[in-house]
Amino acid sequence: MIEARAIRHFDVILILLAAALVAYGSLLLYSASLNAYPDVNLSHPMVKQLVFACLGVGAMVAVAWMDYRAYGQMAAGLYALAVVLLIAVLFVGDSAYGSTRWFAFAGQQIQASEVAKLLVIVALARYLADRQHQMDDPRVFGISLVMMLVPAGLVMMEPDMGTALVFGAIWLGMVTMAGAPPRTLAIFLGCVVALLPFGALLALNDYQLDRFRLWIDPASDPLGGGFNIRQAEIGIGSGGLFGKGITDGTQTQLDFLQTSTTDYIFSVLGEELGLFGAIILLALFTALLFRGIRAANLAQDQFGRLIATGIVIMILFQVFINVAVNIRLVPVTGIPLPFISQGGSSLVMMFVALGLLEGIVIRHKRIEF
Amino acid sequence: MSAAMRALVILMFGILLIQLINLQVIKGEEYQQEAEINALREVPVPANRGLIYDRNGVLLVQNAARFSATIIPGDLPDRGEAAVYRMIGEAIGMPVSEIEAKVEEGIENQGEFSPAVIKSDLDRETALMLLELEPHVPGLKVDVEPARRYLTGDLLSHIMGYIGPISAEEYAELARDGYLYQDYLGKTGVELTYEDVLRGKPGKKLIEVDAAGRELHTISERRPVDGSNLVLTIDLELQRRVNDILREFTPEDENAAAAVINVHTGELLAMVSLPSFDNNVFSGPISETDLTTLIDAPGKPLVNHAISERYPPGSVFKTIVGSAALQEGIASASTTIVSRGYINVENEFDPNVIYVYKDWAPLGALDFYGGVAMSSNVYFYYLAGGKADEGFRGLGEDRVAQYARSFGLGSPTGIDLPGESEGLVPDADWKEEAINEPWTIGDTYNFGIGQGYVAATPLQMLRAITAMANGGTLVTPHVVKEYQDSLGDTLESLQSASSTVPVDPGYLQIVRDGMRQSVTSGVARNAAVGGVAIAGKTGTAEFGAQRDDGTYQTHGWFAGFAPADDPQIAVVVFAEHGTGGNDASPVAARIFDYYFNGGGPINNPGDAAPTPEPEPTDDGSEDPSATDPAATDGVPEPEPTVVPVPTEPPTAAPTEPPTEVPTEPPPTEPPVAPAAILPDRRVPPGGGP
Repeated sequence: MIEARAIRHFDVILILLAAALVAYGSLLLYSASLNAYPDVNLSHPMVKQLVFACLGVGAMVAVAWMDYRAYGQMAAGLYALAVVLLIAVLFVGDSAYGSTRWFAFAGQQIQASEVAKLLVIVALARYLADRQHQMDDPRVFGISLVMMLVPAGLVMMEPDMGTALVFGAIWLGMVTMAGAPPRTLAIFLGCVVALLPFGALLALNDYQLDRFRLWIDPASDPLGGGFNIRQAEIGIGSGGLFGKGITDGTQTQLDFLQTSTTDYIFSVLGEELGLFGAIILLALFTALLFRGIRAANLAQDQFGRLIATGIVIMILFQVFINVAVNIRLVPVTGIPLPFISQGGSSLVMMFVALGLLEGIVIRHKRIEF
Repeated sequence: MSAAMRALVILMFGILLIQLINLQVIKGEEYQQEAEINALREVPVPANRGLIYDRNGVLLVQNAARFSATIIPGDLPDRGEAAVYRMIGEAIGMPVSEIEAKVEEGIENQGEFSPAVIKSDLDRETALMLLELEPHVPGLKVDVEPARRYLTGDLLSHIMGYIGPISAEEYAELARDGYLYQDYLGKTGVELTYEDVLRGKPGKKLIEVDAAGRELHTISERRPVDGSNLVLTIDLELQRRVNDILREFTPEDENAAAAVINVHTGELLAMVSLPSFDNNVFSGPISETDLTTLIDAPGKPLVNHAISERYPPGSVFKTIVGSAALQEGIASASTTIVSRGYINVENEFDPNVIYVYKDWAPLGALDFYGGVAMSSNVYFYYLAGGKADEGFRGLGEDRVAQYARSFGLGSPTGIDLPGESEGLVPDADWKEEAINEPWTIGDTYNFGIGQGYVAATPLQMLRAITAMANGGTLVTPHVVKEYQDSLGDTLESLQSASSTVPVDPGYLQIVRDGMRQSVTSGVARNAAVGGVAIAGKTGTAEFGAQRDDGTYQTHGWFAGFAPADDPQIAVVVFAEHGTGGNDASPVAARIFDYYFNGGGPINNPGDAAPTPEPEPTDDGSEDPSATDPAATDGVPEPEPTVVPVPTEPPTAAPTEPPTEVPTEPPPTEPPVAPAAILPDRRVPPGGGP
């Protein structure tokens, strides 16, 4: 399904950037789990993460190998699968930290929304690509909105506000890229902003309002929900320009930081490697995203372009929200830092996303002779 | 389009970067300080509490930790409680249902966030296992409290006391001395008196802690200064023997007390109060009901009857009256008074009303030695109150009271134990104020024989007798000999303060001779043992309301010292509901025998077994009274039921007014009441053997 010459177009830089991020993340994972896992063995989170990275690379190659347009043929089925997964997880999923997000499968936990994000990107890309000349039709805009709202709503029920927002961002980025009229977009965004206070009252439950309150004032519950917000802030702030050195951060090593290998891994980086380490991370992500944007540019068709756009927006928003939570720019919401946070499903799905990007790049339209 | 997306990436990451610079560079130092405050904590380091030894270096108390398994219900995992219960249950051997019930009870009583005690008093092995589990089992908390293990239990509990958690009031008072809310301190006994010495000085250290407050490293430390060790004056072996002997002679639930003192130093070698209690029960949580049971138990085991309760001293008090009479010139060694078994006193206002004060037998003519040896009430009625119609001037109540006070009665002895009673020395002013009645000559008579209002603790009587024994030095009894550091080097030796009684040593010698005669041929013969010359004075003090047969309940006393010619130790024995001759004296004999002869069977020169009634000893070889005719004249008949015939006919008999009886005795502790002249009672009032 792939022509040998296409191998030449394989974006090696993209893969190297991803590998650099995984390596960077492994270093942070090692430091963050030093207390719980003094010895490095097969059950060490860093080792597991590297194993998942290898699995991810395999998945990436497999996904890239197949012509991405074939996924377009299956779009309806993929979308249905996403919805079914998100419904099922509400009933049979495992809980942690107050929300139900995971399937237990073969001894591993699979986060349903991680899989669903990519499936919805593909389905939306297919729907919008098929109607690229009808983008003026408000029905197309509306139907695509509903296609996003169904999975986003299900994710909200877990509850997982952060991922729901990522769904929204992905849809917004994709309809914009697909050529939705700026007027429609402006009216839509205006309505959203106007309705936000009412929507917040209706849609947000106590748990989310609580998080909002703690974000404004972590001191209102310094030993409860406010604890981690405050400790993350102290950790990053005390890191200064160059940090306290890897494995030398007191906030991290003395267990003041909770979930320091997942949602709060950026705090480990901020404390131990300082502003300098944070800039390196953001630079790596910028380069990776620019390679993704390049893929969207090179795409031979609208379908590929939209997939690449969705993926870029997805990664961009996850990085932004995750880091913003760590540095108290937005209220707490649990979103993994792509390629960095501990978590198999997130990592594997990131590589699958890269596989889609590679599939688009190696089949780009400018065929060389 | 792609340029717009790149701009979006730059914009969003730019926002992050601005906030990062804000946190890490602009406010960086602030956060660095906060991180330090987070990780560093100043904690107190408790000092080890001083140990306590007996005078021979035998360890009496150990420091131990007391562990209890508790669960903080609010920290239990949402759905994992069952697993936590199971793990704890396996470790401590308790069914899950029971743990569940205890947690629910805890929530009900004190809420979600107070630890519910699942099992207290864990053995060390279980405690260590649970401590290891603690970090991994949410909700489990192992409580560690300091505890004292008293190795001698109820043998020394009144002296040692115990420690307990600081109370809110104590904390309010002691917080500025560095006490903490979770501190333990001495509650009674030497644990309380010497709290400052035993406690030491807590140290401080700066530690690095993790988020759960667990200690990781010590950054700096000011080491605590451990408490000093105490060496008691108590000889544990002697204490054990005194305890055994006293128990043997004391019926269940009756009070009894005995103490042995070094007459020169005031060091108490033994002090026993029965019934006793095991002070180890206070080392841990004691339930309200257990405590109430202990407080209300018959015989009040928590009370140290040797120092905390006052009793009428009875005839033991005659030694003080005798000393006073000699010093004041009221009597000399040869002053002879005839006891016909009673004396009569006319009512001040109506000569037809005559009160009768009885002796315990018509003892005949007695000199001073005989008066003490035979414990004649009449003799001491004369010395204390005089006999106006015969022209015999007595001391009067004022001087009796004055000498009683100078021998230490009516005020605490100053022993280094808490809870001492000061006793009572009455006088006219006191009676006016307390009872609102004028002082009468009858009060003086009763006072003179240690009856009526006067009351003293066994330790006060021991101290008074000690002053007679050592030639007039009123020592301060004490139970702690010295402080030592942990290496056994003496830090400070405690000297007892003392004063001198205002009685010429020569007169005290006369009193001692009388006491010696009491043991050789008088009423204290049951206190005699072979191999050592003992001197002493018994007392059988009446108390309570008169019984139907005209008698009273009595307390038995013995106070004495040995060797008679060079006193080393003095002993007091008090037996509630006993008599001086038959209950207290034999106990004293056994104590002297153990101390001087090393125990073994009692080698009583007169009688091997305690005699039921005083008998004259036939061993007069070293009896100073052998040459004194009065002493032999006054020997009572051995048959207890025979009414002794007075040497003179009781002329006052027809005038004795029975209607006057109720007006004379005070409401609480009736002294010797005016009674029928015929000595119809076996146990004589006040001055029994």
